[in-house]
Amino acid sequence: MKKIYVFLLALAHNICFSQNKQILYNFTSIPQSLLVNPGADVSYKYFFGIPVLSGISANVGSSSFSAYDLFADNGVDFNDKVRNVVNKSSGKDKIYTNQQLELFSGGFRIGGEGSRSYLSFGGYQEFDFLMYVPKDMAILALDGNRDYIGKSFDLGDINLRAEILSVFHIGFHKKMNEKFVLGGRIKLYSSGANANSTKNSGFIYTTNGTADENIYYQYISSNLELQTSGLASFTKDEYDGNITDDLIHNTFFNGSLGLGFDAGFTYYYKKNLQFTASIIDVGFIRHTKDIETLTYKGSYEYNGVNPSFEFTDEPENVLDDFDKAIPRDTLYSKYTTWRPVKFNTSVEYSFGESRFEDDECSCKTPSERLYVNAIGAQFFAMTMPKGPFVAFTAFYKRRLFRKLELKTTYTADSFSYTNIGLGVAGTLGKVNMYLLVDNVLEYSDITKANSMAFQLGVNFVLQDSD
Amino acid sequence: MKPAINIYAKFLVLIFLIFSCSSDLDFDQVNDLKLEPVVVANLTYFDIAAHAFVDDGNEHSIAFDSQDFNPFRNSLMREDLIKTEFNFEITNTIKRAYKIDLLLIDGQNNTIETLNFDIPAYSGGNSVFNFTEVFENQRLANLKRLQKIGFVVTMEAGPPLTENSPGNLKLRSAATLNFDIEIEE
Repeated sequence: MKKIYVFLLALAHNICFSQNKQILYNFTSIPQSLLVNPGADVSYKYFFGIPVLSGISANVGSSSFSAYDLFADNGVDFNDKVRNVVNKSSGKDKIYTNQQLELFSGGFRIGGEGSRSYLSFGGYQEFDFLMYVPKDMAILALDGNRDYIGKSFDLGDINLRAEILSVFHIGFHKKMNEKFVLGGRIKLYSSGANANSTKNSGFIYTTNGTADENIYYQYISSNLELQTSGLASFTKDEYDGNITDDLIHNTFFNGSLGLGFDAGFTYYYKKNLQFTASIIDVGFIRHTKDIETLTYKGSYEYNGVNPSFEFTDEPENVLDDFDKAIPRDTLYSKYTTWRPVKFNTSVEYSFGESRFEDDECSCKTPSERLYVNAIGAQFFAMTMPKGPFVAFTAFYKRRLFRKLELKTTYTADSFSYTNIGLGVAGTLGKVNMYLLVDNVLEYSDITKANSMAFQLGVNFVLQDSD
Repeated sequence: MKPAINIYAKFLVLIFLIFSCSSDLDFDQVNDLKLEPVVVANLTYFDIAAHAFVDDGNEHSIAFDSQDFNPFRNSLMREDLIKTEFNFEITNTIKRAYKIDLLLIDGQNNTIETLNFDIPAYSGGNSVFNFTEVFENQRLANLKRLQKIGFVVTMEAGPPLTENSPGNLKLRSAATLNFDIEIEE
């Protein structure tokens, strides 16, 4: 139990950063925007990501509290801060972390000169953690049940999932005509470690007993289950390996495997009015390696240790009865988890034709000219155990030079209503670089931020037109 | 995988750089975390009808039972319980006085201590008696050896009971457990 607390608090260390990639979405100057919409209107002769540097992203979000709330060095007793955080949280508040590291990526145009079909591929490592605030359990741990007579503590508050996995993917997109780009991607997942406890239910209930009962009526109904893969061997006494090394090895070479797909499109209603949509990570992982499922299932009414005054020889033990009623069982059956599915859609209106005087004259025919400005709106949704996470974004994109583009976003979601994001993507020669940061308003004091995300990367790109 | 780890190191440095423009945070405060839950739980209960002290017209004045009870096999109970209070509510509506002994017995069958309650005969007035036993310090340390509870109910002399005598001797009880759980091992 103590260890769990240490773990939760260690996790709170990271809280400051939300997996909405609202800045990257449809930011087609960046090849990695294909990862959030395989039907994005991205074109290149070929590109490859600088290994490991091409895409790094991290998102951390906590919907009800910030690192400052817990760890501010302000003389307030830490226990009071914990109590305040618990009191203002609800069982729907969540702590979310997602980190991705692109290991390699690349793409090339297929077919001849006039072809507008593109292949892309890559591999990345991903860590994903989601936990709802276990409010009732936290109250029980902080205060106990004495002051909560008549309250039912909900065991369904215990809801978390964590996974470390590697993803290898290959995608294809094609400009079907001037108006329509269609793309898809298939993914092979290799999960190195997974912990999943998202379908818990039950309660712990204490109320005053009636006159013909003991002082209290106490009832526990428990339907708890924790599925794990790739973790059980680390918990055994005889394990003497290096957890980090083994975890990395399992993630890439000995993971539980799964399959999934992404799909998306871009549609130009007019040249300057564009719609896009994508669905990402429709897939599953079949957990088969090093699996262990722990369950506590049953119910028990606790009356105390009660003599019968009948001289039966059989020794009774009320605590053994409890253990029998809600046994700890360990199962070794394979299980399947679904990847969190993400849905994105956008509408974008462009205006102001460019007059850039770079290596080419701006005497292009109007149909080939670039627009300088774009405004639009995006919607993001992701599946989560207690109902979807949704975010709305308004954005403005501005091309400063032919190959330098800025995007600024305003996003409202359950973590924050004041999330301003900034992104810049530029290509110098054949080197494409990007940096995307969200929640910039919180930078004046990042410790008070409820969520944060950043992404950066470097690619080597040869454009169609180059 | 070495390069990946290097990148991770840089990545972390980057995060810390970002953190440099931030309020002072003191993560060592985690060590101050102290959980002090107060838990209430049933302890023991019985309800004996007056006629149970009569068998074929003969009174038997002693009832005895013992039950295994070892809550201190749980490490939380053993290490983090700093105080406990037992509250007893004994109701006697039988016209006889009783002596109730609860024997707290350890693993070697030695009695750690005996809690005894003298309950007067019912005479139409007050029938409910409350008793509190607080265990702290050495008394609590002794209690942590508990493995078994013996129950001895002794009926004192008085007007004879029959199969039809009214009334009950009822004991309800609960424990209040005060914990002090600190993160530092």
